[in-house]
Amino acid sequence: MEKEQYHQLEQNVTPKPPYFKNVAKAFFVGGLICTIGQAVSLFYIIFFNFTEETAGNPTVATMVFFAMILTGFGLYKKIGQFAGAGSAVPVTGFGNAVISAAIEHRSEGLVLGVGGNIFKLAGSVVLFGVVSAFFVGLIKYILVTLGVVSW
Amino acid sequence: MKLLGMMLPLLVSLSLLSGCGEKEKFIVYGSPENEKEVESILKEQKYVDKTTVIQYDNSMLVAVQIKPWDKWKKAKLEKKLQKKFDEKYPNKKVFVSTDYKIFYEANKIKRDQVEDNKLKDKINELKKLAKEKA
Repeated sequence: MEKEQYHQLEQNVTPKPPYFKNVAKAFFVGGLICTIGQAVSLFYIIFFNFTEETAGNPTVATMVFFAMILTGFGLYKKIGQFAGAGSAVPVTGFGNAVISAAIEHRSEGLVLGVGGNIFKLAGSVVLFGVVSAFFVGLIKYILVTLGVVSW
Repeated sequence: MKLLGMMLPLLVSLSLLSGCGEKEKFIVYGSPENEKEVESILKEQKYVDKTTVIQYDNSMLVAVQIKPWDKWKKAKLEKKLQKKFDEKYPNKKVFVSTDYKIFYEANKIKRDQVEDNKLKDKINELKKLAKEKA
């Protein structure tokens, strides 16, 4: 069998992924997660002394806490299977990546197991986030000193 | 899915209808001096959705809510509005905020009819809160 023939055959056999359905699922589940996040944010604004600007930090912490509980009970996995990117893109997906790695490596001990592997998946997010923030800040600082834009 | 297809237009139309319910959008509390003037300044700005203004002694707290699409430029609009008020009332201490917390608390002050002696503390507290960074 030639390479092209095989390719043809493979194309015929593989089922077409339901792109539209997947996008719709991701959209609605992601939207639902964000709505919950907005509700938590409003909760902090109304019942505590947080402004719109400062309410972000406790909101993120709470959403990661929710993700932690769902991951621990094995429910986040199911949401992830159903919604795909809709559950991975919000901060709860980041929380899930940290916590599931911690749970997975718990059997190897606390220091070398959990401590060494907790950022196995999420480490790249932290690294690229910090590095890109540094460069964006640097570029903005240079532009401000040159007088192109203001803060 | 069929049910969802039937419910969706209904829900959208319902939310549109309820969104248009007329509520008092411009509220002034405290001393009624130049109430009309302040209101007209705020009504001139197209990006302003709802406002609550609290006047006391020689100062003024202007809590503004920006319309959804203009929220991208919230910080700039806040500065612009602050400048406008400073020019209009040079001998008054005006504090403009677009934050939801300030708007919420200003409405609460109006609803609870907070007395003058407590009002000052409350507003100073809000000002401090609004200046706080993450």
